[in-house]
Amino acid sequence: MKKELLRAGVFCLLVSGWLSSSMAHAQSDPSGKKRITDTYAITNATVFTAPGNPGIKATVLINDGLIQDVGTNISLPKEAKTIVGDSLFIYPAFIAGTSDAGIIKPNDPERPEDFVSSNPPDEIAGITPWRSALDHFSPKDSKIEDLRKTGFALVQITPAGGMLAGKAAIILLGNENSTNLLIQNTALVASLNGSRGMYPATAVGVMAKFREVYDNTKLTSQRSEMYKTVTGLKRPEITPTYSAMQDVVTGKIPVLFSAPSELEIRRAISLQKEKGFNLILTDLEDYEGVIDVLKSSGSSVLVKLEIPDDKAIKAQKEDATDEVKVLNARVKDAYNKALAQAGKLEEAGIPFAFSTVGVKSENIMKALQSMIENGLSEKAALEALTTNSASILGLSSVAGTIEKGKMANLILSTDSIFAENSQIKHMVVDGYIFNFETKSKKKSSKDGHGEQPKIEGNWDYTSETPAGSSGGELSIQKEGSDYTGTITYDDPSGSGKATSPLKNVVLDGSTLSFSFDITANGMEITVDVSGEVSDGSLEATMTVGEFGSFPFKGTLNPTLIATK
Amino acid sequence: MKILNKTFCALILALLPMVAAAQIDGEVIKPRSGKFLLQNATVVTITQGVLNNTSVLVEDGKIKEVGANIAADEAEIIDCSGKFIYPGMIDGGTKLGLVEVSSVAETVDYAEIGDFTPNMQALTAVNPNSVAIPVTRVSGVTTVLTVPSGGLFPGTAALINLNGYTPDQMFAGFKGVVMNFPSSGRRGRYDRRSDEDIKKASEKALKEADKLWENAKNYSTLAANGAELEYYPEMEQLAKATTGELPLLIEVNTASDIQAAIKWVEGKEAKVIFTGVAEGWRVAEAIAKAGIPVITGPIQALPTRESDRYDAAYANAGKMAKAGVKLAIRTDEQENVRNLPFFAAFAAAYGLGKEEAWKAVTINPAEIFGLADQYGSVEAGKTANLIVADGDPFETKTNILHVFIEGYRMPLSNRQVRLYQEFLERSPGLKMN
Amino acid sequence: MKLSRTQESGTWMILIHAKFHVPLKKRNHKYMKKTTYFLAALLGLSIQIASAQVKKGSVLIKNATVLTITNGTLENSDVLVQDGIIKKVGQNINAPKDVTTIDGTGKYLMPGIIDAHSHLGLDVVNEATAPIVAEVRMKDVVNPFEVGIYRALAGGVTISHAMHGSANVIGGQNATLKHRWGSTDPADIIMQDAPRTIKFALGENPTRVHGRGNGIQPRTRMGVEGILRNGFNEAIQYKKAWDEYNSASSQKNSKALPPVHNERLQILSDILDGKIIIHCHSYRADEIYMLINVARDFGITKLVFQHTNEGFKVAPEIAEYTMGASVFADWWAYKFEVYYSTAYNAAILTENGAITSINSDDAELIRHLYHEAAKTQRYGGMTDDQALSMITINPAKQLGIDEKVGSIEEGKQGDLVLFEGHPLSSYAVPQMTFVDGVKYFDIKEDADDQRLKISPTQMVEEVTISTDHEDRCMQGTESLFETTNSLFLLNQ
Repeated sequence: MKKELLRAGVFCLLVSGWLSSSMAHAQSDPSGKKRITDTYAITNATVFTAPGNPGIKATVLINDGLIQDVGTNISLPKEAKTIVGDSLFIYPAFIAGTSDAGIIKPNDPERPEDFVSSNPPDEIAGITPWRSALDHFSPKDSKIEDLRKTGFALVQITPAGGMLAGKAAIILLGNENSTNLLIQNTALVASLNGSRGMYPATAVGVMAKFREVYDNTKLTSQRSEMYKTVTGLKRPEITPTYSAMQDVVTGKIPVLFSAPSELEIRRAISLQKEKGFNLILTDLEDYEGVIDVLKSSGSSVLVKLEIPDDKAIKAQKEDATDEVKVLNARVKDAYNKALAQAGKLEEAGIPFAFSTVGVKSENIMKALQSMIENGLSEKAALEALTTNSASILGLSSVAGTIEKGKMANLILSTDSIFAENSQIKHMVVDGYIFNFETKSKKKSSKDGHGEQPKIEGNWDYTSETPAGSSGGELSIQKEGSDYTGTITYDDPSGSGKATSPLKNVVLDGSTLSFSFDITANGMEITVDVSGEVSDGSLEATMTVGEFGSFPFKGTLNPTLIATK
Repeated sequence: MKILNKTFCALILALLPMVAAAQIDGEVIKPRSGKFLLQNATVVTITQGVLNNTSVLVEDGKIKEVGANIAADEAEIIDCSGKFIYPGMIDGGTKLGLVEVSSVAETVDYAEIGDFTPNMQALTAVNPNSVAIPVTRVSGVTTVLTVPSGGLFPGTAALINLNGYTPDQMFAGFKGVVMNFPSSGRRGRYDRRSDEDIKKASEKALKEADKLWENAKNYSTLAANGAELEYYPEMEQLAKATTGELPLLIEVNTASDIQAAIKWVEGKEAKVIFTGVAEGWRVAEAIAKAGIPVITGPIQALPTRESDRYDAAYANAGKMAKAGVKLAIRTDEQENVRNLPFFAAFAAAYGLGKEEAWKAVTINPAEIFGLADQYGSVEAGKTANLIVADGDPFETKTNILHVFIEGYRMPLSNRQVRLYQEFLERSPGLKMN
Repeated sequence: MKLSRTQESGTWMILIHAKFHVPLKKRNHKYMKKTTYFLAALLGLSIQIASAQVKKGSVLIKNATVLTITNGTLENSDVLVQDGIIKKVGQNINAPKDVTTIDGTGKYLMPGIIDAHSHLGLDVVNEATAPIVAEVRMKDVVNPFEVGIYRALAGGVTISHAMHGSANVIGGQNATLKHRWGSTDPADIIMQDAPRTIKFALGENPTRVHGRGNGIQPRTRMGVEGILRNGFNEAIQYKKAWDEYNSASSQKNSKALPPVHNERLQILSDILDGKIIIHCHSYRADEIYMLINVARDFGITKLVFQHTNEGFKVAPEIAEYTMGASVFADWWAYKFEVYYSTAYNAAILTENGAITSINSDDAELIRHLYHEAAKTQRYGGMTDDQALSMITINPAKQLGIDEKVGSIEEGKQGDLVLFEGHPLSSYAVPQMTFVDGVKYFDIKEDADDQRLKISPTQMVEEVTISTDHEDRCMQGTESLFETTNSLFLLNQ
């Protein structure tokens, strides 16, 4: 089902771009899900247009899924919905070299009655190059949301399977109404994993079988070519395997070879040298010892976006015996070297990107920060996440940077992206906005006394706008580690007070921020408030949609707290 | 083409005296008892130094006399000029007699079902006619401890001499209850349990051992008070270990297990012997301090840890001896117990020294087994377990010329020798006639 | 992984071993200078070019008792190795500039020990899934990090024959390794100038795995012969098909279609063409005799028997028709087909004129092959030269490398071991081991912990208590059996 849907989508894209134009047609939507505009302006944000470029204060204009403009003096079209970017940092969204987001492992095919383990059918033996990652893709998989939340907009999904698992595809982590498919059959996914209990069962068998499949694909196409032109020839035997391998042998698509360890990397490269296919090495975990080999091979490199767990390091005890101390030191050293590997790749001038198959999204930022702490430059990290992966996936012309004409794939974060407490507040994928709750993270004993001011209680506030002075009550409650609350304000429709719930109430150190929605003239406007709290008073700035930013002052009402 | 050197073959055959004695088809050479005078040898007594030009008189299964001028009387004289006499070697831990062909389950008799089977008697299952026995004794190994394995208390080991047609004829006077101390180490490459699982399993097993031990002690106390207890053969056997009536052979190998075992033994009445003790060198001082004797081996083994020095297993015995541990050596073998002298040589070369290595395969095991008055040295009054060799029996070049077990002069033939005799120069050779 | 063979407990454990490079010791070697390479290239010394990455050393060992193997024992003699090659053997040799001198007074120098049957340094041993897997190459899965390689060096072993396992009638192609410890590139420990060899196996193992394990042929020793003859006959047809195609396709307007490529049959065809030496796991006399007959029928002469416990029964035939047998010194009775063994096997084979070597097939045994060879003096009265030949020149012959290694001769590769005590003494202790003139083992200087790769997530050190001999011949066949316990019992 999914497969059909996606393929249909691709077909449409190829034929006429029908999908996007159809969206532009005026249609009713009783579900209420349709967005009111596909034009957005993120104003006055700190924009990092490409790795290495300094942040500039600019506005990013998006329309029709594309970046229309980036700059300071952009005239915004009327239909542009504004996102106030004053406190936001904008980066090109991340691109994952590989991903298993949405990939559901297919069931093992049933064994035929005459199954012989020494000569199993290709499909059972993990030789399924004709499969597409799309065959076993579910857009509802939570991993998609998780990965998007982490900053990714584009990923190359790879099928699960054996030694020749199938073909990868590049998809957007975009709106659910789209197939989100960008390109299919982008690479052949291969590994040295054998099939349990049948041929080939081990790496040594897999390598032999790989050669055999490769060579016979060549011969098969040779036969087929002759068959087309010469009469009186025996019909060549076509198999799905050889047909599916064709694009690899002709160099049309690369082999995406999973090679976690040093020796597996060497093995994949030796096969490549023997047979001459285009090689992308992926899932690299242990490669410190083969950086020169990687460099001279000219293969593309996808490093697993993960760091080794530190359980063993943490378990090391101070009071260990001398013998154990020496052994511990070697483990520690190995651990440090593992963390520093990515930096070494950068040093060697190898433009690598990341693979995320088998990686937990929630650990990704920590892994990146750890790599950066251990020698990887922020620029190189960003390159690996954007321009390098775009280049390796052949997407440089459409993705990887914030430029006019590129896909509107953006990260909107609360701080510099690799900063410890930075959080992603919005993602723009394919021109669609995805909002995330930002949570307060305690600035871990930043200045020795990390105590946060109290904000729970009822506040009286005043605000100054061009329409004059206004005010109301702000009520904040603590629920667990989160804050909730309400705010009252002069009803824009002109009669008394209105109340809205607070959203995204975050206390970061002494910085309080929250937002709420007001409806004025049938238009929903988000108001963002952010400022400093000290001794029960709040000095803040209020940003009202695209209308501008204004002062906002509050005092915590002590009596009301007492009566509570 | 065949390049058989006939003169050379003749030479080899001459070096095998029993073999050389022209054998008639169908003739069987049997062990022979009697009165033998081994004349004019260099006697390596182990306990009394090396005696030159000395003779040894064997009679009634015993060493009757060791001295310079022993009257022959009616004794059969064996000229040992230029030869060496040693006590027979004792292997402190084997499965000899309990298994014939390891991969054929029907011939494997050392592991019974059940975790608590101390009443299982290795001696019962010893096959006196195992092909491996005559293969073993020609190397000079005359006595071995044969040990059951398996669960927590797998059975009772027995010391046997390598001569006799029934287990009782072979029994050499020592039995000990075997305990496999719960191990925190991996049992081998195929042991795929996680570290935590191993730890849990060993803790659980130790608790189980404590419980059994406590029960056995109570059993013993009640029995001593004359209580009529229900039939409980397992407990009855373990009870003997709790009082020291039967020694307790604790198989223990990793450093932490050894330390735990030392602690476990503290305050117990048992006569404890540690066996295996692969990582003994790591905690040698503690073992010496606890005064627990050790039967260690196999010597020719890989280090227990990847990071260990390559010779950790070879050097283990030497390091323990240096720390003052009372030490015997075992092969832990079945068909190749014949390698005991070579294991001893490796231990000697890697730190134990020749003299201590000899003790570790003679008088030390005899003492550990409480049989020092009968075995382990060439002294008048002891059992006549002797070997005569043309050199150091630890060297492969040396030929073992005679082996005496309990005064029996043993044939030096065995199936491996007979195959040699038959096939060295095959007839027909490459072609019929 | 050796595995290396860290036991499985999480992917990081297995897969991530960040390289940890410590200078293990000061090494007495010089790198071949660039100009030398250039010169070598001009002279067409292709071998040296092929192994250009490999370290070559120079060393002079003085006043040792030199056991040359092929030229007797030389008392108080010197051996000079330059750039990896033995340059001079004699007395009063002066050290050229920059060449380290080692005093061998009172010590014994012998050629590096060669083990014709080992599974060290391999990540995979068995592709056990088909009766014939000739197409697999052990060179693909060489693991230079296995600490067993160092431990073998500490036992004087400089070359090992890293073999495929014995689960198949025709197993994979083996790799001959030179123990250049510390190399991280598998290619650097492969002896690139050694000829191709392949593993065969007869008897209990292939019949158990395929016949009894998977219900396909062979289940019997008849079936083993059937598999062999089928394979070779198919290879003949395969070769014919390709020969016909190749000659037809060179004609103009050829209508010939290329046949299907079959690496498996191609390798068998190479065996028939004498390009590959067979090393056959075998025990019983009847099966050994069977393979001799099959080989003779197909004109195969490059054949070595491995284990060969009952080789003594057909010693005249082995001597006449094959490159001999590589045997254990004394292992027997671990399975039924080795019950009727004798430790005199090596002696009987030798006396009958068969080339005989002593091998280990075991990570422990490989550490004292000198001692295993010495056992042939106890069991059959071999002379010193005969015994030492069994771990040097004879295995070299069986691996087709006797022109290059296996004895101390001028012009041969500088693989040497210096012993304290005569190597055939049970008290002998190897002191230093050299490969290509580079010292890779030194009993006095080496650090205890020789691991090249450490897992960054290693919690505690693995402690493995050695059990009975574990046979790697059948490693990797676990999945074919119900329990790993039954695998324990497989043994050799």
